[in-house]
Amino acid sequence: MGKKRLIFLLAITMVLVVVLSACSSKEGSDKASSASDTGETTISLWVLNDQAAYLKPILESFQKDNPTIHVEATYYGTDPLKESLKVAASSKTLPTMWFTWGGSLGAFYPENGLTMDLTETAASHKWSDIYNSAALDMVKYDNKTSGIPFHVASLGMFYPKELYAKLNLNPPTSFAEFEQQMGKIKESGITPLAVGGKGGWDVMRLTEQLLEHFAGPELHDKLNALEASWADPAVEKSFEKLKEWSDKNYFEKGFITLDPLEAETPLYQKERAYALTGPWIDTNISGAGNAPDSFGVFKFPNDQPKVRMSSFTEMFQISGSADGKEQEAAVKLGEYITGPDIVNKYIDQYGAPALKEFTFSKQSPHTSEMAGMIGDGSFLISDQALPQAVVQKLFEAQDAVVLGEWTPAQAGQEIQKAVETYKSGN
Amino acid sequence: MKIKYWKPWTFVLPALVAYLIVIVAPSLYTLRLSFFSWNGIAADKKFVGIKNYTYLLTEDAVFRVALRNNILWMAGSLTVIIGLGLMFALLLNRRLKGRSVFRSIFYFPYVLSGIIVALMWTWLYHPTKGFFNVILQQIGLSQLTHPWLADPKTALAAVFVAAVWQGVGLPMVLFLAGLQSIPRDCYEAAIIDGAKPRQSFRYITIPLLSETFVVVFATTLVNAMKVYDIIYGMTAGGPAQSTQVLSSWMYYQTFKFNNIGVGSAISWVLVLITMIIIIPYVYYTNKKSHL
Repeated sequence: MGKKRLIFLLAITMVLVVVLSACSSKEGSDKASSASDTGETTISLWVLNDQAAYLKPILESFQKDNPTIHVEATYYGTDPLKESLKVAASSKTLPTMWFTWGGSLGAFYPENGLTMDLTETAASHKWSDIYNSAALDMVKYDNKTSGIPFHVASLGMFYPKELYAKLNLNPPTSFAEFEQQMGKIKESGITPLAVGGKGGWDVMRLTEQLLEHFAGPELHDKLNALEASWADPAVEKSFEKLKEWSDKNYFEKGFITLDPLEAETPLYQKERAYALTGPWIDTNISGAGNAPDSFGVFKFPNDQPKVRMSSFTEMFQISGSADGKEQEAAVKLGEYITGPDIVNKYIDQYGAPALKEFTFSKQSPHTSEMAGMIGDGSFLISDQALPQAVVQKLFEAQDAVVLGEWTPAQAGQEIQKAVETYKSGN
Repeated sequence: MKIKYWKPWTFVLPALVAYLIVIVAPSLYTLRLSFFSWNGIAADKKFVGIKNYTYLLTEDAVFRVALRNNILWMAGSLTVIIGLGLMFALLLNRRLKGRSVFRSIFYFPYVLSGIIVALMWTWLYHPTKGFFNVILQQIGLSQLTHPWLADPKTALAAVFVAAVWQGVGLPMVLFLAGLQSIPRDCYEAAIIDGAKPRQSFRYITIPLLSETFVVVFATTLVNAMKVYDIIYGMTAGGPAQSTQVLSSWMYYQTFKFNNIGVGSAISWVLVLITMIIIIPYVYYTNKKSHL
């Protein structure tokens, strides 16, 4: 009887030990960070899978140059990264440094006091001499620098030069001319626009340029800042035009749920005329066996005196709760990854860097061309400019208008309702 | 006497502790969160009572679409997936040549991840180059070609067909195991008594599969209520939110819009619906089997 009681007590004790040890992770992490007392620092970094090709060798060379800093990189898909960051933020387990997008996506972390304020670092390290001013502006929240600029990209209309030559066309200089060209291309048996509606963001690129055309830059900026009503006639006209293009079959049949990348693929084979996208398309064109310079690019002709392009930024943010030594190491790593030496070395795979000056890649000729095009200014891409709940309503409105479930006027009203719901909750 | 009382608890305790920590505690915490307005980070959570629930039921049109879709999905799963699973199990329980191969073929889709299935079926449904529309064109039925995933009227059904293809293997395997545990004597006695195959099925197979039905019903119901990856992969909830389900809308509310309270409320609506159906069913079948 006594033996059985002993076994029972041992079992209970073991369960309690397991439970209590699971609750003692903080103490465990304190022990792990004590490695910093030996002069070594370990920093965790969360980035995207599709950046691994160039980030892996960059991280290796960084650690060679900085043997006392260990970088533990974790690679995620786009949505898993967003999700993991939110979970980590709410459980106070954010990595030392992470990749994120600008606008409303990246603003969540500084708005909630989770990021390191890099304003002083930016001034003392003279970032204004290194990064372009648009990039530096886009990583600021409440006038504080909250991220290390990584990429800045703008969107232009890409077209196959061969198709244009065959139809005797030149890049359009006005909205009317662009529409005429789409009509001509459709008559020749080619679907003009390579757009995939799944996820909403690819159609949004056209919608926001239609807004720029019909609303003008001032109202467009106010709409994005939620300072003007979306039930405006200019918004209605934009949706009317989207519906008109859909009804004229300027998009592929069933485009509304096509994956954007899948929808873009026929463009590489010259089976579509236009894609509103960024210079990273060069890599896709090369991958499909074509020369990137066989494609041209022009700014979406929105008929404004200064033709603004949609643009967005990507950055590295650093945890505000990491200790000073880890933050210092993270800044060093961020500046290393985004600095001119590394950018120029990996420019073929790097994308559009946020630097003032860099060596242009022959494999990505449009990066330099588009960097020159942005001189007239840009507006922040809608899915970063607007709160995410409003973005989702915008995507729903696009689909509903194209499918004839909402009128263009109703689309504007529904978005405005979402804006008001968002405002009332904040 | 005391030890006799406590002994079973010592065996159950480790699993019970794990269950309480991993399932019960987070669920109750989520229930608590559903009464707050919170972005997941801010130090202050604002208590709003049942406002998140009333918002969902009275103001959130997408929630109502998602709820309707979940109910349709659940009804379809409980009839089509269980029905087909039972049918395949009955067929493959017979002495057929190559039945092991067929069992593997029918079970194989179940081991694939939802995203892989979503990718495959998205291609099959491609509006211009997809298998279904190309076949329809080639047999002269081009008027029946359709953008299956792009039309709100057909999108959910199209995704459901893919889910049936993937999901039918699990009930089939469970029913097969149940069928093989039924003694042959029962059928032989029924034949001697002059029972027809249909009567054997009605009065022997179905009653003796009742335990299996409980497991199949519960797993199919739970899988139907938590459906997410195949919908996210094939339509991302579109077009125009027409294929949103509760799990996907919970994801959007929680991780995209930072409305932790609303997301938590959706998850508890899911739990409640599942409980309302599953508890009476399990109670009834258990009671019946112990009569």
